[in-house]
Amino acid sequence: MRFRHRALLGILLLLIFSFSVTSENASGQSSQVDDSRSKLVQAFVLVQQADLQGASPAQISLLANNLNLALHYEENATELFTKNITASNIEATKSVNLSNATSVQALGVASTAQTQALYGQVAAYSTAIAAGFLSALLVLESHRLNDLVRKMKLRRMRID
Amino acid sequence: MQRRVAVMLLLFVSFSLVYSSIAYYSLSRPPAQEFMAWGVFSSSSSLSNYFSGAGANVTVGETLNWHFAVTNQMGSIQYVQVVYRLGNSTSANPNATVPGSTVPQVGNSSIFIPNTQTALVNFTWVISSRNIVGGMVFITTMINGQQVSPSVGAVAGQRFRFFFELWTYDVALNSFQYGYKGQNSRVGVPLQVWFNSL
Repeated sequence: MRFRHRALLGILLLLIFSFSVTSENASGQSSQVDDSRSKLVQAFVLVQQADLQGASPAQISLLANNLNLALHYEENATELFTKNITASNIEATKSVNLSNATSVQALGVASTAQTQALYGQVAAYSTAIAAGFLSALLVLESHRLNDLVRKMKLRRMRID
Repeated sequence: MQRRVAVMLLLFVSFSLVYSSIAYYSLSRPPAQEFMAWGVFSSSSSLSNYFSGAGANVTVGETLNWHFAVTNQMGSIQYVQVVYRLGNSTSANPNATVPGSTVPQVGNSSIFIPNTQTALVNFTWVISSRNIVGGMVFITTMINGQQVSPSVGAVAGQRFRFFFELWTYDVALNSFQYGYKGQNSRVGVPLQVWFNSL
């Protein structure tokens, strides 16, 4: 009788243990797929910011290709989640790594785009101010130019 | 002398203002209306001939290879989701403001589309089986490799329809939202294709 009780208790403990291990594994896996989703969105937000800050279409196109590949891995991870947890884990990790790499690239591209935009603005407004100064000078000193032209004409007439 | 300096200063400021305005104009992005356009194309890459035979009849086991062409003119890269729903003649239509939430969803596909580019999204589907209950035909479909059995039936298998909805990711709301962001509100652009199950 005692043996039966102990055996039952043993089986119960074994069941509780195996159940807790399975649920822990599943929830851990679920969080990995969730993590790949959130990293993908983070990468998208950074790429969109780089785009709005004036990154070139070619650079954005490259980053978009990376995002689509990371999305493909994430979709695979979601699909495999109920069938093969290990394979799902691998796909989710691939997606996270690619999303992180894309985020870093997007930050670099955004920074370059910002700097280039700033240089472009400085150059354009400097040219505008320099042109403003030259134009003012030209208007103010135009009579001297007229005198100079007149003198040159006189010289030619004398030579003739 | 002082007068000359004052005139020079006035002219300099005036000209600088004019040229700076030109610089500002040339540096600014040209105004453009933001929009997204899309269509569902048949296997012959046209907006017609969706079905191989006459009429809109689809037999069990007949594979149909359609695709969506989605164009992004929103000014920046977009995260787009195409939602598929299966309805019948009495289903509530999605419209420009409201999605067809009451119609069962049978799948979705997502893609990132850079600005000014057109992306293609495959939609391959086949009716894998039919189940007839009291004159109503219920179909099990395989869409892009995923099997779905929606709880929608059609009398004698006539006038089923697919609803296709375009959703875009809203960064502020951190989720996909129906349609795309218009000038004042979101704009939904649903599509639908009717078919009969034989």
